[in-house]
Amino acid sequence: MSVHSGADPRPQAQGPSRSFDRWRHRFSVLMVGATLFLIFAGGLVTSTGSGLAVPDWPLSYGMLMPPMVGGIFYEHGHRMVATGVGFLTLVFAFWTARRETRPGVRRLAWAALGIVIAQGVLGGITVRFFLPPAVSIAHACLAQTFFCVLIALSYGLSREWLGAPATNSDTTGVRGAALAATLVVWLQLLVGATMRHLHAGLAIPDFPLAFGQLVPSFTSTAIAVHFGHRVGAVLVLACLLRLLVAAQRSRDRSLARMGVLALGLALVQVALGAATILTAKAVVPTTFHVATGAAVLGTCWLTTLRAWRRLRPGPAMTRPVASVAGAASTA
Amino acid sequence: MSFKPFARLLLLGSVPLAAACGGGEAEKPAAAPATQAPAAAPAASAGSASIAGKVSFDGAVPAAEKVKLSADPKCAEMHKGGLERQTVHVKDGGLADVLVYVKSGANGSYPAPAEDVLLDQHGCDYTPHMVAMVAGQKLKIRNSDDTLHNIHPRPQINAEFNVGQPRKGMESEKSFDKAEMLIPVGCDVHPWMRAYITVLSNPFFAVTGEDGTFTIKGLPAGEYEVEAVHGKLGKDKAVAGKITVKDGEAAKLDLTLKG
Ligand SMILES: [Cu+2]
Repeated sequence: MSVHSGADPRPQAQGPSRSFDRWRHRFSVLMVGATLFLIFAGGLVTSTGSGLAVPDWPLSYGMLMPPMVGGIFYEHGHRMVATGVGFLTLVFAFWTARRETRPGVRRLAWAALGIVIAQGVLGGITVRFFLPPAVSIAHACLAQTFFCVLIALSYGLSREWLGAPATNSDTTGVRGAALAATLVVWLQLLVGATMRHLHAGLAIPDFPLAFGQLVPSFTSTAIAVHFGHRVGAVLVLACLLRLLVAAQRSRDRSLARMGVLALGLALVQVALGAATILTAKAVVPTTFHVATGAAVLGTCWLTTLRAWRRLRPGPAMTRPVASVAGAASTA
Repeated sequence: MSFKPFARLLLLGSVPLAAACGGGEAEKPAAAPATQAPAAAPAASAGSASIAGKVSFDGAVPAAEKVKLSADPKCAEMHKGGLERQTVHVKDGGLADVLVYVKSGANGSYPAPAEDVLLDQHGCDYTPHMVAMVAGQKLKIRNSDDTLHNIHPRPQINAEFNVGQPRKGMESEKSFDKAEMLIPVGCDVHPWMRAYITVLSNPFFAVTGEDGTFTIKGLPAGEYEVEAVHGKLGKDKAVAGKITVKDGEAAKLDLTLKG
């Protein structure tokens, strides 16, 4: 971060691009909400086993609007919500291309459009090839990544990002803790999606123990993946605890609140995971477990973005810079 | 702080996806090569012996499942009093929907019969629940309901398919190239719908009726191993018996499946 070593580390806001665009920001928040709902709707498809209730794609039984009966309600409903989100993303990309002067934001908006299209095609492939796990897993993980892209776009348009540059230093390591938590949660989602699409969600039937033991014997891939997801949960909680402590000690109240939110959501998520096992994958807890997983990831990612925006690099990271500054002041 | 590092991080996040995606297609089983060579195979002469008997059930009959018809009003309309599914159907001690087939002893090449086998969807249920056919024979799938169904067998050896029949009266023709026991077939719109398709390499089989009785006709004289298998009870519960038949003889064979 050598850019920050000068007396005035940030270039001044230039031109109208840096002014707050209220409606585009609101629109982006709407997209984030719609995408969380879309992830829930997609989770319902798998939870209800309706992934193949509509055998064709992109049409549904050769129609745009089939009767919404039985499993079709979930599968075609998911396609409809997805089409809606795709349309919002299209509008947003063109809107941003017209109004936005930051090239990074414009590019990310186009990337969002590309991802949502790729996601639709992945959905089609998984239907055409009878839900091969690798494609279903990729579809699930790309959904979460798309969600993060939208959060980044939305934050980039927020008053906070556009506002005054950071003055406080990250003395307690919030930036690193938040980034680490985000990466660990993303990996945990990858393991969770793998478990789900290998139908290994009940490979270990008891909770909190595994076959009455702390560590079960790994007699099948399903058990190994399932146990990996449980170990992942412990790692996520540890990361979030570390983030919470760092955020509380940073005296930045917004970040402290984010830390509480992230850990709180993660605890709800663990309870939902337990409920998923204890109810033998009942539709409601299982699907909320998917959506809450996305919410945990989104919260960690937003905390990361906010921490990196609100706090300058901490002492450990700026030591060389500080010595340069010290040398400059004595000169 | 500029936007770039975050954009890069997000792109990085999609790398494993691309990798996962690339691996997807390789997992699909290759289309089964046709093993059937109807023109070349010398048709084994049809015999004149038969085996008749009854398959009994020994065990506790599981309680019938109440079907949640509310998911499709059209199905609910067809069953005003509700629908209960009894997959283990016992009458006078006889078990229905049991496939009784010649497991070994029929050594010959048997071309697929020319006539179609019908799997009908009627009243949001399958008729019959046990379909038996010879490899290469045509399976006609019909939708007799005023609602839509998708027909989705999940074979292990043959090629999987999933076809939709949105309108009443629609028919599709499919076939399975290789012998395979108890392929579950279901409808993902109406998850309670379930039937089993067994693809055999000889035409010597019968499916038990309501009272558990069956007759296998047209057998050449010989010694056979005959097996009885039920879809819900599964392959593990199958029971076999040895029997020798002479030309023109009507042999008797009773078998008992345990629950
Ligand atoms: Cu159906």
